[in-house]
Parts: sequence; structure tokens; C-alpha cells
Amino acid sequence: MHFILYAFINTLFVILVSPLFVSLIKKVKAFTQGRQGPPIFQTYFMLNKLLSKERVYSVNSSLIMKMTPYINITCMLVASLFVPLLYVPEPVAGIGNVILFLYLMVCAKFFMALAGLDAGSTFGGMGSSREMTVSAVVEPVVIIVFAALGLLMNTSNLHEIFSSSIKSSLVFNPAAILISLSLFIILIVETSRIPVDNPETHLELTMIHEAMILEYSGSDLALMELSHSIKQTLLMAVLINVLMPFGLALEPGITSILLSSVLFILKAVILSVIIGIFEASFAKYRLFRLPSLFMLAFFFSFSTILFELLR
Amino acid sequence: MFLTQLLFLSLSIFPLAALIAILFAAKGSRTFRQSIYWLLFSVNLLVLLISINTAFFNIDLDFQLYRLAGSLQISFHIDRLAAFFMGIIAFVSSTVCVYSVRYTEHHGSARSKNFTTAMTALFIMSMYLVVAADNSFTFLFFWELMSLTSFFLVLSDRSKTETGKSALFYFIMTQMSTTFLMLGFLALYTVSGSMQFIQVDSLSGLFKAGVFLSLFVGFSIKAGVIPFHKWLPYAHSASPSNISALMSGVMIKVAIYGLTRFLLFVFSPDLWWGVTILVFGLVSALLGVIYALKEHDIKKLLAYHSIENIGIILMGLGLYIIFLKYDFSTLANLSLIGALFHTLNHALFKSLLFLSSGSVVDVIGTRNIEEMGGLIKRMPYTGILFLFGSVSIAALPPFNGFVSELMIFQAFLHSFVIDNPFMKVLLFIGLSLFALTSALAAACFVKAFGVIFLAMPRSNAARESHDVSWIMIVGPSMLAAACILLGIFSYQIFNWLGFAFPLPDLMVIGLSLLFIVVLVWLFVKLVANKHSRTSETWGCGIISQNSSMEYTASGFSEPILTIFRPVYRTRKTVNRNFHDNFGSIFKDGIAEIHTFKLFEERIYLPVARFVQKISDYVSNKHDVDLDTYILYSFTAIVVLILITGWLIK
Amino acid sequence: MNDIIDVFFVLILATAALIITVRTLSSLFNIYSFQSLFIAVVAVVLFFQTGNIVLLLIAILTILSKALLVPYVMRRIQKNMNLKRDVEFRYLTPIGSLLVGTLMIFLVYRSFSTLLSELSYDDLFFFGAVIGLSITLMGMMVIFTRKKVITKIIGYLMMENGILLFSLFIAELPFIIEVLIVIDLVILITLATILAYGIDSTIDDFHSKLNSFTLWFKD
Repeated sequence: MHFILYAFINTLFVILVSPLFVSLIKKVKAFTQGRQGPPIFQTYFMLNKLLSKERVYSVNSSLIMKMTPYINITCMLVASLFVPLLYVPEPVAGIGNVILFLYLMVCAKFFMALAGLDAGSTFGGMGSSREMTVSAVVEPVVIIVFAALGLLMNTSNLHEIFSSSIKSSLVFNPAAILISLSLFIILIVETSRIPVDNPETHLELTMIHEAMILEYSGSDLALMELSHSIKQTLLMAVLINVLMPFGLALEPGITSILLSSVLFILKAVILSVIIGIFEASFAKYRLFRLPSLFMLAFFFSFSTILFELLR
Repeated sequence: MFLTQLLFLSLSIFPLAALIAILFAAKGSRTFRQSIYWLLFSVNLLVLLISINTAFFNIDLDFQLYRLAGSLQISFHIDRLAAFFMGIIAFVSSTVCVYSVRYTEHHGSARSKNFTTAMTALFIMSMYLVVAADNSFTFLFFWELMSLTSFFLVLSDRSKTETGKSALFYFIMTQMSTTFLMLGFLALYTVSGSMQFIQVDSLSGLFKAGVFLSLFVGFSIKAGVIPFHKWLPYAHSASPSNISALMSGVMIKVAIYGLTRFLLFVFSPDLWWGVTILVFGLVSALLGVIYALKEHDIKKLLAYHSIENIGIILMGLGLYIIFLKYDFSTLANLSLIGALFHTLNHALFKSLLFLSSGSVVDVIGTRNIEEMGGLIKRMPYTGILFLFGSVSIAALPPFNGFVSELMIFQAFLHSFVIDNPFMKVLLFIGLSLFALTSALAAACFVKAFGVIFLAMPRSNAARESHDVSWIMIVGPSMLAAACILLGIFSYQIFNWLGFAFPLPDLMVIGLSLLFIVVLVWLFVKLVANKHSRTSETWGCGIISQNSSMEYTASGFSEPILTIFRPVYRTRKTVNRNFHDNFGSIFKDGIAEIHTFKLFEERIYLPVARFVQKISDYVSNKHDVDLDTYILYSFTAIVVLILITGWLIK
Repeated sequence: MNDIIDVFFVLILATAALIITVRTLSSLFNIYSFQSLFIAVVAVVLFFQTGNIVLLLIAILTILSKALLVPYVMRRIQKNMNLKRDVEFRYLTPIGSLLVGTLMIFLVYRSFSTLLSELSYDDLFFFGAVIGLSITLMGMMVIFTRKKVITKIIGYLMMENGILLFSLFIAELPFIIEVLIVIDLVILITLATILAYGIDSTIDDFHSKLNSFTLWFKD
């Protein structure tokens, strides 16, 4: 029953905290451009507003379009069980398996790509095509990064990776630098940020993720935006808990949970600022230059593996 | 004993049914054919039950049919491995039989329909008996029967010219496979003195390598491993859809059965065998999916995906040998069971895909996906079935495709326990290429499902389509149900069979997915705005949206074709016509994307031309008069006398 | 101590990978100066470990010449050209170069471990030698994959960095200084030759200019 408590607390925390980081990154980018930017709680207001609007469906769309927001949010919420944000529970029924975590996110992406094709618009088709291309080319990198992480920690279960990193953090291991660089690049790719994709544009030349959700409105759009921000939080949590896991507790207790939530928010704020500054320093890459970027991440992770294997 | 007799009695119904179908060819009665198919359906289910019984409770079945002479006998022995494969054949064949009840009525004359029915029955029977075979003679006998019947089945749609060429190509390749197998079997016979499939330990060195290679090549040709794969897309697209489902779902698995039987029970494998199998598997998987991405013929696309999945199965087998040689028995078991489970899963979802796409092709009349579209509203059941198939083949949780790929991923991830650095690097490279394959397969099925079923219809045939009758939906639904059930209950099934793998319990995941989806739906229903309306798709202000504004399949796969340009040797040619002389007011144009058929033009055609040259030379020597023939005989006799004299000395 | 050196090895590898893929010339110079800085830091840490004063001298020399002077000179030269980026690749694209680079690190490691298994050596020194030789080979890859001469010079400088790193760990210390002097001389001569023909040229222009010289001697 401890696991149900963990599931409840973890999921609730993820849903509450994710929109904060989205607006924080927007605010950082605004500051670097000399603007004020939207208020920090803007994403919450937007989700609230979207829930109260009606949904408009295209004539050409089918039940895929109606199903996808629910499939997306469900996959993301179940995936959030795999990434302990506040405390690490005893692993139950193999939850925490890296491959299952990655493939839940692939499942969400698959249906989102189908929904992009569903309305019959050129934007959606273009978004789906580019999204599946980018995700296909980045997949070997993601697997190798998690394989390197598993090699370092001797396990392929995320819960065990986190609990062993609490005991001996990776910060003082040179492989950590390479792994965190690769994890950072993967974070940028999966959350569709510059230089891979521009999350604030609606021009057909420059959008990938936004193109696929272009037709959504109302509560559907709220669900899609929320699942996107949950994905970002989960990937940020993987990076944070591998590098700086202090504050992550091993047992549930009121004080430890409060402390770890405050520390997590603090660490995630720092990471969001770094992401914001990183985004502001680059322009979006041409689509066919992205494989070179991924190759760099692949090189870093493969060198980590070589380092560890040949020690 | 009773079970054995029941099994072989039921199997003998097949040739009986075939005989009746041919004998009554003149009658051409529709209900007659349909009743044959229903009979076959029930017999297949019976065989399924018997084989499940053997597989789960480990009861072996023996049967001896006919003794020709000496060690040439036709006998059968069904152990757990054979029963597993027989179960696969049984289940898939039963669904295909149900489907064929209505499908065969749509093609050809009454005579050819009867013939097809007969050949189908014989084909299924020969597949069963290959798997059940006890010795090499029986194996080869029914292997040849299987090839012959499938050749006739591929040839069934004689109205198109390409059918003849595809069938001929298939026939040549399958005869080559039989030759290699025969070589291997004869070599084994000379060493062990018996044709039975028993452990042969006395092989060593070059001879052992030769036997392994000839058997591996023989099985790979039939399974469709690159570079022996070229016949697969042609044969599977030229044959009718129920036959493609049988061939792609089941027949290539029979080749995998042969390979597994030899690796597990006859040889004690060397390490380099594992590496070879792994490398061939990697290359097949990667190239298979890359070639699938450029296809717009739905059946060729599915055929290339079969090549990819066979590659994945070979990867699991190669890993099994590697881990076995390094004494990691748990990991070896994980890889082997993963490969075998993927065999089952692929049979299920590939047949599902072929059958549902067969319904689509039947209604629309063309295999080109660029002329379909919007079918999910007009053929909803077929669409849902194809969706189940696509989700399974893209390895999304909690379906069965995910579980088998997960097992192979786990085996790869734990490969750091091996000491040899070369092996570690090879396995990590294999891991990343496998991940690439899996992701590209998902991309390909987004394209396939999206272009065929979603958005607006691209042709009149698509606009006026309707769903198929319920009979053609029952068969694929059985397969789809098996896909989801096998996925969700995988952990429980493995535990029941006695394999304790550290896999996630997908039933828990499935339940949590269900629970959360219900919660979210309730929340949205309570809190959010309940109104919804339909309107036009956003088209940047263009009012009348038509199907030419949708993304085409070529456009969808174009970024991937460009990124993998070295593999495809893509050539793009663009011709533009302008209204004016300065080239500024565009009138119209044509853009072409050409890819290069590497294996055809660099390997197969040169070999074929070489063989053609030799046969031309020899046939020239034949067209001579009587005197020259007598000269030939005279020379042959003289040479024989010389050789005999030399040998006796 | 060992951990800190490992961290810097990693950073040096990262800079080498970036030089292979980056196309903007000013970024190339920056990354090169960081690489020289990291190598100097490694030399300083080795000084603290072994107490050899020559290492400190080498570190200071490297910082002054390679991390500060050479990039400054290159930037001055670049300001006089119209060139900002070098986008053309030959034989190997960045993806291929990175793949080959990874393979090379592995190959160098294998051949070294068989070669040096008889000699007694410290684990760290072995690692440093492997990384040094890999950086040298990657520098050679930069030379043959890029078309613009100025990038080829950066590749040559990276080769020199690699040899410096290699010799820090393997060779006797006075020997290092002699090796450095010889290499610097070679660089000087190459630079002078190239400056004579124009540093914003490519190899093709080089050939055509050479051809125009042969015409002098025709009559």
C-alpha cells in the first residue's frame, strides 16, 4: 500500500508543479530579450481558461483526434510513476524499467503524430513527418545515454538508479559531465525547445510540436499542454536526480517530503533558468543539421561507455 | 496415444479436403468452398488446443507414418518447441481460413478458386508436418511440398503480368534454399550416420563451419534475411492477401523453427556463429525498415517489415548463443525466449496487418496508399483492426510487440557483464541500431495508418468505399484480441510457464492506464466546458479544403529519405515550367525522388546475368547435329575409362 | 587528483568533438583556446603530483602561446577576410567524423594495451597517452575533411595539442621541450608558406596559383 501512497503523492506533485517551469522558462527568455514576459503563474491561468472553452473539431477528423489527448495525459501520468520526484519507494512490479518509461513517451508521441495527420491539414502532416523523423534519429542516442547510465549504476531500473545515486552521487565522477551533457541535449529534443524546435511560433517553417496540436482547442488543448509540461518535468527530474540527488528521500515522512519538494523546486528552477538562457543563445537549427547535433550527444555517451568499460 | 491419433487424424483432413476441392472443380459451388474453409477453421482450432496441451504440460507426441527404405522414413515427433510453432501455425491459419471464406470469392474463376482452396489446405498441412518432422528426410519432403504449394498460391492472380515474374523469382529462391539445406543435411548424415535430429558433437573445424553456413544460408533464404531477401516483397505483394498473411506470418517462421531446432538440439554452437547471426539480424532489421519507409505499396511495405522483424528474431538468437558461450544462462534464456516470443507476436500482428490491409485493397482496388485516405470513417472496424496491428508492430506498451522487444532490449542492456571489450562495443552498437530500427518502424506505421485511414479520401474509390462483411472481420479480431491479451498478461504467462524474468508486470501498467484514463475523463466531464462543435480545418484562410492539401505519403517520408541518403542513393530531379522567360512566374512542375535498388542491381542481377551467360553457352553446345553428339559421348567414355584406371591404381 | 585529471580529459575530448563539428570560425578559435587551457591545467595538476618544475613552465608557455597568442593572431587574420563560416565537408560529414573518432579512441586503446603490456606504467599515464593520440588523429581528420585552409590550420594546431598531451604522460621531460620546438618550427614554416598564398584560399585555389607559377618557367 506504500506504493499507492507514493503514486498519489508523486502524480499530484507532478501535475501541480509542471506548469510553473514552463512559464519560468518563458520569463527567462523574455528577460534576455529585454521584456517583462508573462507572469510566473500564467500557464495555470491558461489551463484554467482552456478548460472553460468549447472544443472545435474538424470535419475531417475522426475518433483518433478525440482519443489522443486522453492517451497522451494517461501515458505521461503513468510514466511519472517511474520517476520519483520526492522520495524513492520500493520497486513494485517492475515499475521503474527504463525501456518501459521511454516507450510510454513514444506511445504518446505516436498518437500525437496520428492526430496531426487526422485533420487533413498540411501543417499537421508536416509536424507529424518532422516529429517522427527527429524522434527516430534521436532514439539511438536516448537508448545509449540510458545504457551508459545503467552501466554506471549497474541497474536498468530508474528507481534503483536514483536510490544508488543518493548513496554515491555522480558529481565527482567524470562520466557525469558527459552523461549530463547528453541528458541535457535529450531534454531539449524531447521538449521541443530551440535549437530543435521553437515552442512559441506558429509559422510552418519553424514548428514541429506546435504543428501537431494546432487543431486542438478547449479541454483537449489543456490536456495536451499539461502532458507536454509533465514530460518536461520528468526529464528534468531524471537529470537533476542523477546529478544532484540530495534532498531525495528514501522513506515517506511529512518533513522529508516537504523538504524534498522545496529542494526539487529549487533545483528545477535553476535548471529552468539554464534551459532558458541556453534557448536564448541559439537560433533554431535547420532540420537536416539536427542529426549532427544528436551525433554529438551520441559521441559523449559512447565515450562515457568506453571510459567506464575500459577503466 | 489418443491425442497423437486425434492429431494426425485431424491433419489428414487437410489433404482430403484438398482432394475433394479439386475433384469437384467443375461444380464451382460457393457454399461448398465456404464449408471447406469452415471445416479447416475448426480443424485448425483443434490442432491449436492439442499443441497448447503439449507445450504447457510438456507431453511429447510421436508418430511414424511410412518407412521407405532403411533410414528413409516419414515420422514425426512433437516436443515443446515443435508444439509452440504448431500452435502459432494453427492459430494464424484458423483466422486466415475464416477470412478466406469471403475473400476467395472475390478473385478469379470458380476453377481457380477451388484450386486455391485445395492448395491452401495442402500448404497449411505441409507447414504443420515440417515442424512436426523427426528426421531430415521428412523435413525436406514437406519443406518441398510447402514450397510447391506456396508457389501455386502466389501464382493465383494470373491477370497481372508481375505475378508470373514474382512467382518465378520466389520459386528459384526457394529451390536454392532447399539445395543448401540438402547439402547441410547430407553432411550431417555422413558424420552422424542417421537422419534423426539428435545431438551431433563429433563435428569440428572447417567442416562444422561449412555445415552451419549451408544450413544458415538455406534457412535465411526462406526467412528473408538480407541479402537473400529480394524475393519477399515481390512474392508477398503479388499473392492474394490471405496467402500473404500465411506466408509472411507463418511460413517464414517455419524457417526460424528449423534454425532454432538445429542451434538448440543438434549442434553445440560456436561463439562466432552467435556474432554472425547477430550481425545478419542487425543488418536485416535496419535495412528492412529503411527500405520499408520508401514504399507506397501497402503489401510491399508490410513485406519489408517482415524482413525487419525476422532480423530482430535473429538478433535474439545470436544473443542467446553469445550469452551461452560466456556462461550467463539467465541472460541467454531471456534472449532465446524473447526471440521465440517475438516470433509468436510477429505472426499475430503481421497476419492481422495483412488481413486488414487485404480488406482495404479489396474494397479500393489498388495497393497504392496514395490513393486511399479517410477510410476510418467508411471502414471503421477494419481501421480499428489495422490500428491494433500498427500499435503492436511499433512496440507500444501494453501490447505484445512491446514485451518481446523489451526482452531483447534488456538482454542488450545487461551485456556489460561480458568481459571481452570488443563484444561489449559490438553489443552497444547493436543496441543503438536496434533502437533506431524500432523508432523508424513507429514512424513508418504512423505514415501507413495516417495516409490510409485518416484525413480526407484521395480518390473516388476511397470516397465510395464501405466496410467489409463481418466474416472478414472475425478473423483479424481474433488476432487483435490475442495481441492485447498476450501483452497485458505476459508476466503472468511467463510465470506460469516457469520462466522467472525480471520484466515489468504489464497487467499493473494496463490497469493503471485504465484507471487514470477514467479519472481524467471524469474530471474533464465534470469541470470542463461540455460544448463541442465541428468546423473546417484551419487552412490559413483558404476556404475549400480538398484532398490535395493533405500530406502525401511521399512527403511524409521525405525527411527520412534525405537523412538516410547514403543508403537509398536518393536522387531528386525537379522540372519546373514557367510562364515567362525569366523563370519567375511558376506554371507547373514535376519533382521526382528516385531511390536505388542496391541489392537488385549490384548483387542479384549480376549473378543472374552470369548464370544466364553460362546457360547460353551450354545450350549453344546442345544445338548441334548427330555426329557431334556421338563425339561428346566418345569423349565422356574415354575420360571415364582414364579416371577409373587412375583411381583403381 | 586522478579524478580531477579525468574530468579534464573528458573536457578535452568534448572540445575535440566540437572542433570536428562546428562551422563558425570564431567558435573554432574559442574552443581551441579552451582546449589548450585545459591541457595546461592538466600539466599543472601533474606538477602538483610529481613536483617537476618543467611541467609548470610548460603550462605557462602553453597558456601564453596557445590559449592567448595564437587565437588572437588568428582572429586578427580572420577580420581581414570576408570569411565567417566553413560549411563544406569532404570525405566525411560531421556525423561520420564523430563515428570514426569514437572508433579510433577504441582502436588506440586496444593497440596500446597490447603494446605496453610489458612495460610497467601507471593507469593514468596510459589513459593520458590514449587520449593524446586520439586527439592527434582527430586533428588529422579535421585537416582532410575541411576545405578552407584556415580550418586546416586549426586541425594542425589540434594535432600539436594532442602530441603535447601524449608527451606529457609518456616521454622524458627535457625531451618534450625539444619536440615542442621542432613542431613549432614546422608550424612557422607552414604558416609562412600559406600566408604567402593567401589564407582565405582553399586547396583548389592553392593549386591554381601554383600552376600560374609554373607558367613563369615555361619560356
